[in-house]
Amino acid sequence: MPAGVRTLLLRPEAPALIFLVLLAIVLAFTAEGFLDPANLEDNIARVVVLGVIALGVNQVVLSGEIDISVGSMLGLCAFAVGAVGESQGGLILPLLAGIGTGVVAGSVNGALVTLGRIPSIIVTLGMLYALRGMILVITGGRWITNIPSDTRALGLQSVAGVSVPVIILVVLLVVVELISRNSTWGRNVFAVGGNRRAARFAGLSAGRTRFLAFVLVGVLTGIAAAIYVGRAGGVQTNAGQGLELQVVAAVVVGGTSISGGRGSSVAAITGAVLIGVILNGLVLLDVPAEWQSAMLGALILLAISTDALRRRLLREQPS
Amino acid sequence: MSMKRGSVPLRWIAVPVVGLMLFAACGESGVGQAPESAQGGGGESRICMMPKLVGIPYFNASQKGAEEAAEELGVDLTYDGPTEAKAALQVQMIEQFIQQGCQAITVAANDPNALAPAMKKAMDADIRTGAWDADVAPDAREVFVNQATFQAIGYALVDIMAEQTGGKGEFLVVTGSLTAPNQNAWLKEMKERMADKYPDMHVASLEPGEEDLQLGIDVTTDYLRANPDTAGVFGITSVALPGAAEAVEQLGLDGKVAVTGLSTPNDNKQYIDAGVIEKFVLWNPIDLGYLAVHVANAQIEGKMPESGTFEAGRLGKVKMLAPDEVLLGPPVIFTEQNINDYNF
Amino acid sequence: MISAAVPRRLKLSRELVLLAILVALVIALSLMSPVFLTISNFLNTSRFFVEIGLVALGMTLIIITGGIDLSVGAGLGLVSVALGFTFKAGLPLPLALFLGVGVGLAGGYFNSLFITKLDLHPLVVTLGTLALYRGLALGLSRADAVSNFPGWFAYFGQFYLGAVPGQLIVFIVAVAIVWVLLARTRYGRYVYAIGNNEQAAHFSGVPVARVKTALYVGTGLLVALAAIIYTSRVSTARADSGTGLELDVISAVVLGGASIYGGSGTIAGTVLGVVIIATLRNGLTLAAVATTYQVLILGLLLIVAVFLNEFFRKTEE
Repeated sequence: MPAGVRTLLLRPEAPALIFLVLLAIVLAFTAEGFLDPANLEDNIARVVVLGVIALGVNQVVLSGEIDISVGSMLGLCAFAVGAVGESQGGLILPLLAGIGTGVVAGSVNGALVTLGRIPSIIVTLGMLYALRGMILVITGGRWITNIPSDTRALGLQSVAGVSVPVIILVVLLVVVELISRNSTWGRNVFAVGGNRRAARFAGLSAGRTRFLAFVLVGVLTGIAAAIYVGRAGGVQTNAGQGLELQVVAAVVVGGTSISGGRGSSVAAITGAVLIGVILNGLVLLDVPAEWQSAMLGALILLAISTDALRRRLLREQPS
Repeated sequence: MSMKRGSVPLRWIAVPVVGLMLFAACGESGVGQAPESAQGGGGESRICMMPKLVGIPYFNASQKGAEEAAEELGVDLTYDGPTEAKAALQVQMIEQFIQQGCQAITVAANDPNALAPAMKKAMDADIRTGAWDADVAPDAREVFVNQATFQAIGYALVDIMAEQTGGKGEFLVVTGSLTAPNQNAWLKEMKERMADKYPDMHVASLEPGEEDLQLGIDVTTDYLRANPDTAGVFGITSVALPGAAEAVEQLGLDGKVAVTGLSTPNDNKQYIDAGVIEKFVLWNPIDLGYLAVHVANAQIEGKMPESGTFEAGRLGKVKMLAPDEVLLGPPVIFTEQNINDYNF
Repeated sequence: MISAAVPRRLKLSRELVLLAILVALVIALSLMSPVFLTISNFLNTSRFFVEIGLVALGMTLIIITGGIDLSVGAGLGLVSVALGFTFKAGLPLPLALFLGVGVGLAGGYFNSLFITKLDLHPLVVTLGTLALYRGLALGLSRADAVSNFPGWFAYFGQFYLGAVPGQLIVFIVAVAIVWVLLARTRYGRYVYAIGNNEQAAHFSGVPVARVKTALYVGTGLLVALAAIIYTSRVSTARADSGTGLELDVISAVVLGGASIYGGSGTIAGTVLGVVIIATLRNGLTLAAVATTYQVLILGLLLIVAVFLNEFFRKTEE
């Protein structure tokens, strides 16, 4: 096998990328309107909320933990954005309110996992319920509508023909990837996730590293909430319900190992875009709505199976 | 037994503190807020009423009406339901209503048949049974409080759309979940109306918005991109309509693609103002809740009429559609002129 | 001898904590509602946790091996649709029931294929099959519901032996079987061995792939059983049955003390976890605490209980 191909295949996101390209080629020939620039941009725009959060959860997964509270967290942050936007207007204050709420929730997750030493799947499962309960209790079931258009800027506007959500996603991808590769914290995440005990012997603070990963999820969920509110124009009490499984699916389908230590930000976004393209393609191909979920499941299974194929090709040990 | 002395206290502190933070965070709006039971004081009769789910404006509005009626009549009212619209959770709560000693149970069913065994059990326990908003199987309840017939709603929707599209074209319907019984019944009437009166109108596709605003926007956007000659979109749940309207507005298709459906006025006012939606349909959920409690009370007192009309407080006389069915009235059509008269 | 005796005593103490939580809950709830602490209420409540409980038994074993199965709720929906719609299409109901069981087994086997043959992580695989099974259920039922079952079908979910609901008896039998399997057989030791160190287990001759396959298939069987009881209890087969079941089941199992990292967990703990959650939901509803608060309370309870559990685990070490 040529060295270049091998290097490419060694990248964690390689199987998902190859699968994405193949799928795009198939759709280009079969689905009318798929290559329409507006549709291509829509494919990305719709997964921006999913993708931004997946960037954060990706770091948590790399550090060997998991966060399944993000569905409810997005809902709570969106209410913060919506409520502040409704009363104060503007963009900055609502955005800060969303990020602040996310940071508090993320810190609670992080503190319970690192100081409380509770497995992260339990902490975030508990928070999934608790945060949704808080939304229902605080709002009393009221939805937020009529959000002023300046608060919705992050979801609606476009710059030089590219919509703002897509720009935000690309910028955040670059930023998180740079931090992940070049900062001490970023490298610690890989080390802690790869082998926590060894990392501790090497003098790394596993607790602090993981805590910050959970806080990052909060920050990114806050930003995602502002985009969500911008695009949807309203907030319901069930906002974000079920998103947690989609986010985890995006991260692992993209190629980040669920056991930690292996993966990349590009993988998380690849996974998110792949899910977006599948959903878009199903509608464009007029697949009856009842069968769409089955097709999505089958394609996810196919995508992750390519990872097994890649390992066979490289005769790599299972991760 | 090596307890690391340095780390343990920190851990012990972390959890209670976090717990307190969580409670404090919601304390403001009142954890102590009394549950919706034990009002009225007299404790004469107790009516237990269940919406499809709690925590959405539509069912908050019917709660308002129900409480108003309970106060008028001096009865205890328990108004509670699951936080997700699931029939299985309702079954469980009905059985608990039976244990709680309710004299009447009235439910808005997420599934007509799934709730039937539990409702029959309530009948066996000599509890008056009823349904409102969404019916249960007829042999599993004594009376159904119907907000508007499926036919009246389905026809009204199609007629409004026909007015705006010249009675022809291909249409997208955005529904809740594909299994939602009310939506499927409306859709059936809509298709019938098209076949009978507007042979050039066709439902080209049905997409589920799963009661998720963003998903509703996305499926509508996708569909309109793939099918640009679509004449109009029906959004037939309270979430699907604002979602469809938002998508049409974002695509800049307002005026080209007509939008109508079923939803609550507060959530669609902005689209009426912007001219994306010209008219849409619903009934008054406050009145519906109000009527349901009046009916349940009449059942307990044994004063339910079999035909003619039923006297329901401020609503006056409402029609008995059948010996076991009360009709709230014709649907309300919301337009720019009247939308500000409603607040729910 | 000492090393063998100590863990047993400590394991007991962990379950004692759960028992104490349950007792405290029962006392608090019976003060809040007079009808809570009655035999009829308890027996009645049991009808609602059996489906979660049955699936939780299989999930406990899977979690002990370090795996997880997110597809159980979707699997329940698929079995329900398979038996309901083949019955509607004209298949005699007894055959439709067998077909449903077959679908449950096949669903579990399909999961295990990806996990054992392709070496993929169970979380990832079952996330995919969650969408797949739910989608198949939706597609096969065309999002419709079936409900005109013959009268005798009610037997599975609505039968009472005296005052005891039939499914409670099924659950008790299932608990006994799985308990014996886990605590008293070689197979049970394999399950713990895989969870403690899969590679070591493999090298010491444990048939890892076979054990795992059996676990996922066995859980498929329990899912099918739960689906039959559920379908009979609500006398309706529809595709969205069992939505969110996976989270309820996992909550109960981890509340019962099984470690999500694998290697530890007991059937007694899981049963306590199932009963605690069911008791809490039932008691709070009877005490007229609005459901919106129940969601919040459930989340906090889960975190606090597992914290206490982990605390005891750590101090034991």
